[in-house]
Amino acid sequence: MNTAEKPSRWKKFTSQLDLQSMVWPGIIFVFIFSYIPMYGVVMAFQQYDIFGGIMKSPWVGFMHFRMFFEAPEFWNVMRNTIVISLLKLIISFPAPILLALMLNEIGNMGFKRVIQTVSYLPYFLSWVIVSGFVFSLLSVDNGTVNYVLERFNLVGEPVNFLALPKYFWSILVSVNVWKEVGFGSIVYLAAIAGIDPTLYEAASIDGASRFKQIHLITLPSITPIIIIFMILAIGSLLSAGFEDILLLATNPILRPYSDVIDTYVYRVGILNARFSYATAVGLFKAVISVILLVMANKIARRADVSLW
Amino acid sequence: MGNRMKWVSLLLTSLVLLLTACSGGGNSNTSPNTSEKNLNTEVATDDGSGIKPVTFSFYGNYDWLTTSPWGDNEATKWIQENRKVTVEPIQSGGAAGEKLNTMIVGGDLPDVIFTDRGSSVERLVQAGQLVALDDYYDKYPNFKKYVKESTLNLLRSDDGKIYQIPNWYTSGQFGNGGWMVNKEIYNELGRPALETFDDLYQYLLMVQEKYPDVVPLEVGEKGAGLEIMYGGFRENSTSKFISLMGHPDGDKLSSILDDPAYEEMVLYINKLYRERLITQDALQQTQDAVKEKVNTSRVAVMVESNITTYGAEGHRALTASNPDSGYEIIWPIHKAGLDKTKVFVSGFETLGWNVNVITKKAEDPEAIFAYFDWITGPEGQKVLFFGPKGLYWDEEDADGAPIPNEKYKTTPANERTETMRKFEDFNWAGNTTFIDTAKMSLEALLSANQKSWETVAQSTVTWKTALDITEFVNTDPLPDTEIGIIAQNVGDIYTLAYAQMVQAKSDEEVLSALETAKKNTRKAGLDKLLEFRTEKWQENVKKINVTK
Repeated sequence: MNTAEKPSRWKKFTSQLDLQSMVWPGIIFVFIFSYIPMYGVVMAFQQYDIFGGIMKSPWVGFMHFRMFFEAPEFWNVMRNTIVISLLKLIISFPAPILLALMLNEIGNMGFKRVIQTVSYLPYFLSWVIVSGFVFSLLSVDNGTVNYVLERFNLVGEPVNFLALPKYFWSILVSVNVWKEVGFGSIVYLAAIAGIDPTLYEAASIDGASRFKQIHLITLPSITPIIIIFMILAIGSLLSAGFEDILLLATNPILRPYSDVIDTYVYRVGILNARFSYATAVGLFKAVISVILLVMANKIARRADVSLW
Repeated sequence: MGNRMKWVSLLLTSLVLLLTACSGGGNSNTSPNTSEKNLNTEVATDDGSGIKPVTFSFYGNYDWLTTSPWGDNEATKWIQENRKVTVEPIQSGGAAGEKLNTMIVGGDLPDVIFTDRGSSVERLVQAGQLVALDDYYDKYPNFKKYVKESTLNLLRSDDGKIYQIPNWYTSGQFGNGGWMVNKEIYNELGRPALETFDDLYQYLLMVQEKYPDVVPLEVGEKGAGLEIMYGGFRENSTSKFISLMGHPDGDKLSSILDDPAYEEMVLYINKLYRERLITQDALQQTQDAVKEKVNTSRVAVMVESNITTYGAEGHRALTASNPDSGYEIIWPIHKAGLDKTKVFVSGFETLGWNVNVITKKAEDPEAIFAYFDWITGPEGQKVLFFGPKGLYWDEEDADGAPIPNEKYKTTPANERTETMRKFEDFNWAGNTTFIDTAKMSLEALLSANQKSWETVAQSTVTWKTALDITEFVNTDPLPDTEIGIIAQNVGDIYTLAYAQMVQAKSDEEVLSALETAKKNTRKAGLDKLLEFRTEKWQENVKKINVTK
């Protein structure tokens, strides 16, 4: 039995060789760049010495984890990470879906293309450039927004948007939506394009309005995609952002509201060459992320859509 | 089947090729160098300075630093042709710390690292990666001649050896921080006295009223100029004490937050900020935004740690259209009642700006040292500051300073400054005293409007208002030690509290933020940090006094 099966499996494998070879580069890439470096997490349990390397660094157990949990910033950092992530999940996540639905209803192809191009262009600008825009829009000396507000007598004196903690989260999330919404909608537009047009024809013969069609045909058809992206978004709940926050929150007064796990790791760990500490915090984040991902996937499985 | 196997082997071969290409990348540069080195040695010329042909790699450990290719300008080309020294720059790519760490982990250190003194050097020393230079310092002439014995002692690491080559070391005062005013606005407002902080406050109010679009007081990128006001509130002090988190109190450092002068300063800053006399973007603005304001005359008064650069650039921009405008350097503003000759805005260390270290990767460390010794000597300094002979100078005066030729006088000042700045990027063992003396005698020969704004500002004010803070060098703990972690926590607490104090809505709010900061820093272990720094400071004082 066993001997009879082996050649057949090998045969199956070789008969698909052309297809298999397309997957290999991906697998090899993931293996080399994601799996091999994973041994580096042992640094989290060592006092890593950059010259000695992993073999010569002393073991310290959970010391770095304890230090992180006991750090005065811990609760602040966790709160900001979760709040900013949830804000992004509630606002930035549905935004591209809405945009895709709206774009889909546009009849004029030329107009639709222009809107699509204009909305996804910001995605290709780096955060350095975007933060430059934001600064010149919102600054007090010569900032466009303040200039307009003053001209219309909406404010008595310019508002210092980038130096007041209460505005930070809104600025961060709005800029994120502006930058990412167009590009994010491409996937949903592709999914919508794949819906069988006869469904819409049948619906309109039955007298369904445009909104009814969106509600009963478009949305249910793209639900699997939305759920998959939702699972991934929940899995990365602890990645609240890095470059955007680092570049927009330059005023230290914002720190109690802007410090998230990734910026904290960068500032305290990487910049100060405390590699073990940075690794420990990163590992903590990864473990929580995996747990969240598994949980989200489990819940989604009830709707018969899941990653695995 | 045979066809398929061909595919597999093709795929595997390409993969192997790719991998070898990757792993070979790091070394591919070394082999031609070695042969070049040998070639160079054969044509060695010895002119007594001890310099010999050598090729070495050079890494500038700064995010902002991009070293231009060797031989691209007149000065380095001259060195390559006449001194047979070639340097291969390694770039930081905007992430210097990470690049250096990568090189350390990969065992791929450059021959020379150009970096700040302190933890980045000490780390390498402790790991035994650097070449001790004591013998070379004895053997070669120039450093021995120009660097003071006490300076060399301060460069010594804990094991008693010297691993560092100083850059822009000095024996005199120098500094670039200070205050300047917009000449046009100042003249139009009748040139009121601007000496004390009260004068300044009154003046800023006048500016605010008359020129609503002008920033009354500009304070530089991320508010860099704010803290340097500290020197105006206490005699013989600079903002270095703020970064140390302690001010000298007898022979120990006590918390800066308990210092009445500090409290006075934050209250004053807050008052100006609250009344919108300081740019409201102070703590978050970028350097470009600041320059834009300065260069378009939308700044009335400015205080900055690098005022000479802002001033020279702004002055150039403004005088281009109106020769009567521009900026004017003024004596530092200070608290009424303080002796104005004891007011300092910047600090300088006789050790200079930064250092070069030679790693054990270097094949011929002695030759590299000899080259640095040559740089810091008269010929090196002349070539790397004024350019090679025949460009801007042909002859020297009795002191060995170059005498400017026609080309120096006829080239527009901006273009000349730009060319010379390119040379300066390669002056890695800058000899401040030599350059400054030569520069001054050079400028003295020029007519008033040919003189650079920078030189005037430096010679009249900014050098005189720089305090010698050499005794506070190397007082920072290594970041991954217990004290280092304390320093990090204290720094975080302070940075936040400081921003809160600047932007506070009332005096009470300032004082309560200060109180909170005092309490939190004490809890974070500020006392231990100050004890550590006091100890290092006292060691330095001893080292300096021994050789005096």
